[in-house]
Amino acid sequence: MNRTPEEVVREIEALSGQRVADCYQCGCCSAGCPIGTAMEPPPSKAIRLLQLGRVDEVLQSEGIWLCASCLVCGTRCPRGVDYARIAEACRLLILRTKRSVVDPDRVVPVDLDDVPQQAFIASFRKFSV
Amino acid sequence: MVGITLEELPSWNCCGAIYNTGSDDIAGQVGPVRVLAKASQLGEKLVTLCAACYNVLKRAGARLNTPGNELERQRVLEFVDEKMERDVRVVHYLEVLKEDIGWEGVRSRVTKPLNGLKVASYYGCLMVRPKEVLSFDDPENPMVMDGLIAALGGEPVRFEFKAECCGGYLVVNRREVAEECSMRVVDNARNWGAELIVTTCPLCQYNLEIAQKRRRAEQYLPVLYFTQLLGLALGLSEEELGFEDNKLSPVGFLKGKGLL
Amino acid sequence: MKRVGVFICHCGINIAGVVKVPELRERVKSLPGVVSCIDYVYCCSDPGQRLIRETIEKEKLEGVVVACCSPSLHEATFRKATEEAGLNRYLCEIANIREQCSWVTADRDAATSKAEGIIATVVEKVRMDEPLERVKVPMKKRCLVVGAGIAGIQAALDVANAGYEVVLVEKEPSIGGHMAQLSETFPTLDCSQCILTPRTVEAGRHPKIKLFTYSEVVDVAGFVGNFRVKIRQKPRYVDIEKCTGCGICLEKCPVRVEASFDRNLTRRRAIYRLFPQAVPNKVVIDSENCRQLQGKKCGVCAKVCPADAIRYDDQERFIEEEVGAIVLATGYELFDQKRLGYYGGGAVPDVIDGLAFERILSASGPFAGEVRRPSDGKVPQRVVFVQCAGSRDSTQGVPYCSKICCMYTAKHALLYKHRVHNGEAIVCYIDVRTPGKGFEEFYRRATDEGVQYLRGKVSKIFRRGDKVVVWAADTLAGKKIEIEADMVVLATAVVPNPAGVALARKLKVALDANGFQTEAHPKLRPVETLAAGFFLAGCGQGPKDIPETVAQASAAAAKVLSMFGTTELYHEPVVAEVDAEICVGCGNCERTCAYEAVKVDPVRGKAVVQSAMCEGCGACAVSCPSGAMNLKNWTKKALARMVDA
Repeated sequence: MNRTPEEVVREIEALSGQRVADCYQCGCCSAGCPIGTAMEPPPSKAIRLLQLGRVDEVLQSEGIWLCASCLVCGTRCPRGVDYARIAEACRLLILRTKRSVVDPDRVVPVDLDDVPQQAFIASFRKFSV
Repeated sequence: MVGITLEELPSWNCCGAIYNTGSDDIAGQVGPVRVLAKASQLGEKLVTLCAACYNVLKRAGARLNTPGNELERQRVLEFVDEKMERDVRVVHYLEVLKEDIGWEGVRSRVTKPLNGLKVASYYGCLMVRPKEVLSFDDPENPMVMDGLIAALGGEPVRFEFKAECCGGYLVVNRREVAEECSMRVVDNARNWGAELIVTTCPLCQYNLEIAQKRRRAEQYLPVLYFTQLLGLALGLSEEELGFEDNKLSPVGFLKGKGLL
Repeated sequence: MKRVGVFICHCGINIAGVVKVPELRERVKSLPGVVSCIDYVYCCSDPGQRLIRETIEKEKLEGVVVACCSPSLHEATFRKATEEAGLNRYLCEIANIREQCSWVTADRDAATSKAEGIIATVVEKVRMDEPLERVKVPMKKRCLVVGAGIAGIQAALDVANAGYEVVLVEKEPSIGGHMAQLSETFPTLDCSQCILTPRTVEAGRHPKIKLFTYSEVVDVAGFVGNFRVKIRQKPRYVDIEKCTGCGICLEKCPVRVEASFDRNLTRRRAIYRLFPQAVPNKVVIDSENCRQLQGKKCGVCAKVCPADAIRYDDQERFIEEEVGAIVLATGYELFDQKRLGYYGGGAVPDVIDGLAFERILSASGPFAGEVRRPSDGKVPQRVVFVQCAGSRDSTQGVPYCSKICCMYTAKHALLYKHRVHNGEAIVCYIDVRTPGKGFEEFYRRATDEGVQYLRGKVSKIFRRGDKVVVWAADTLAGKKIEIEADMVVLATAVVPNPAGVALARKLKVALDANGFQTEAHPKLRPVETLAAGFFLAGCGQGPKDIPETVAQASAAAAKVLSMFGTTELYHEPVVAEVDAEICVGCGNCERTCAYEAVKVDPVRGKAVVQSAMCEGCGACAVSCPSGAMNLKNWTKKALARMVDA
């Protein structure tokens, strides 16, 4: 499984159906992201890193796990790039190595009874194996 | 109440709560596709009350019918082991109200008009995005719920966070991030003079309520599910409206307005 | 058998780098009718043309095929050379083996075979070709200019000053266009009105310019040199001969409506003039808002007018003019802010577009040149300028760069700083593009004087209290940024004026995917169109600034003048031809013709082609059920032979 960064980028493109070269780095996705400054790297920067083949910096980042799939970035993107799909493709690459990021056994037990099931299911489906 | 009978889908299952976008994803499609297949054996239209179900089912259906996806369609349906009898149109209950009953029809059934109550209709993400699939409303300024509010005698508030994210499922593992998202929605609605917010998604409702409860419990905007507001105007009782399940009780506010 | 000579051009390596020329030459030599085949490195060069002339004479050629680039480039060159050698120019044809062959493949064998096929086809055509004579057409040496912004005014003045009559048509009640709305102009910061008004005054008084304001072109018939133009003059309800422009009526009219000239930031009366220096300086009544014209009781303007100029019973008028050339100077509009939902969709009063800010900066604008914001008239302490609002956006706006926004935004920010000394000006941009004389220096001046530039496209604009919040990004620092501003100016995209788009469609002047008029050649024929007799000036052809607009307008005028300078106009003889023996007079051709060049003679019951109007498109020939209609030198028989070859 020793793939070159270019191969990994191509896999991310295939999984997401997006082309990172389409992005012209206007930053609109980063500007509109509701996660705001917590999103690191911001979407446009993550795409830039992928354009440069610096995949590890994206795959090891926290940002891809903070994406709430709200799709605002893709909706307003002037180039029609959907970053939410790219982030999901990155997560899938990691989750498919059987590594969960949200562990159902370790969720902070605040108001646990209160949170709708919908949130748990969504969260586990996005973030767990 | 509104002159329409809905039929519950027999042996329904969860849609999965979130749509998986991976281009090779099969497993994530099985849940929603089974729902669609079951529905297709019953009728042409599948009504959802929840924005997430609406979003997932609609996108799964669109994916199934995308030219070039024939092989995937076949594989998913084999998995599901249910026959797809016909194309099923997934509609949100708001669409039923607007298209099948009409705002005039709704208005004529109102027994307790909202007396110009200023209501912010919050759509969140799942009703409007991606715009290619969920094209029934303007993705930046959706209006369908505003039509409902006006029909119920309320005053729809134009605000700019109608379709911004509440933080969604991040509330499970990144509560503070989700709270910030939700508070921005509430603040913007308040800025434009809203007295109350309605949502179309249970998770949006939860997030908007719980964020306010934690951060500004002393001065909150009540958050109702749109069906609660509809039921209120159609004259349902406090018990029937299920206000005891709200994280922030709207009862005091509504009584103050003479609506309860 | 007709003696045909073939010349194969290498075009440097453009053709010879792919096509195997020596092999091709030998293969062509064996084609029927070909008596000579010569290849040369650049046929279009002087020695190349000489070679063609000499070969025609030496080999007594009766037909010539030049295998080279597209006929749109050098057909005229080689036909002229052919003519000089004593052969009819229409016996020379081009076989395009560059654009349609060598440029589209790297496969040398396939290219060589295709080139042979193309040449064989054209050789077959030349063998069938008849000598033709160009059609002489008469010419009206008068010019119509549509639109009287700075482009139209400049073109009209240049043509009129050369001594030819100009008909200048403007849809607004006075001339000057958008330039009249601007405050100061980049990069020199001279006052727009001050440099514009000498031109509007000159155009308004020029003895050779017939000015129709509040008018529009509704129809154009005829053909190059002989257009018949129908103009609709909207009812002004004011006798333009009697009105002195004294302005008493403007004070007494009881109706107030939003003034579009001021981008709805001020209110005007129902009787109004666009701006104080308007040319002509005559008022006009807006019938939709006039109480009297809406059947209510009023009549105030008629009572107070000292010149007795008010005419409530005024009617629209139609005027016909005959001209030989038409300049389209139909101009631009700004992309509608309402379509930018994520920027407030036009619902936030302190989010305005660039032209609105021009009015705010203007001494004749809503605040007499003081920078105040529309909602409450406060002086904004922080203004955000948002570039690319709709431009370079292939999903929600227009895909192209609007070209002028970088510079006018720098100007806006600078002028704001000049008027509000402690104010903060922030420009959100994607790229700053300054390719013009003095442009980069001007941009530097803006940054030197404290304008803050933030690299990132704005995603959302919304209200918080009386502030306007901008969600921007600093992509250089890799951060999302929230800015609380007092006012936001959107550099909305430049789009073609919808009235110009509609007119061009009607006149069959080609438009690109964005609605801009298409020039005949992007480099070499930038002010002409493919429709003969139509010329282009200004933003109707594409976004451009004032100097470029003026230059293009003068260029269009020069093209009109060079046409008027020739004594006679010629029309290509490749036109339709009827075989009256076969024609049954069914009228298919008449219905098919887009140029109204074919009519069925009601007496003889046969189709008649008016050669001067025929553009040689061939549609009638295709529609003819009996085969009576043919295009000269493109007959059905010739086409069949070409296909077989």
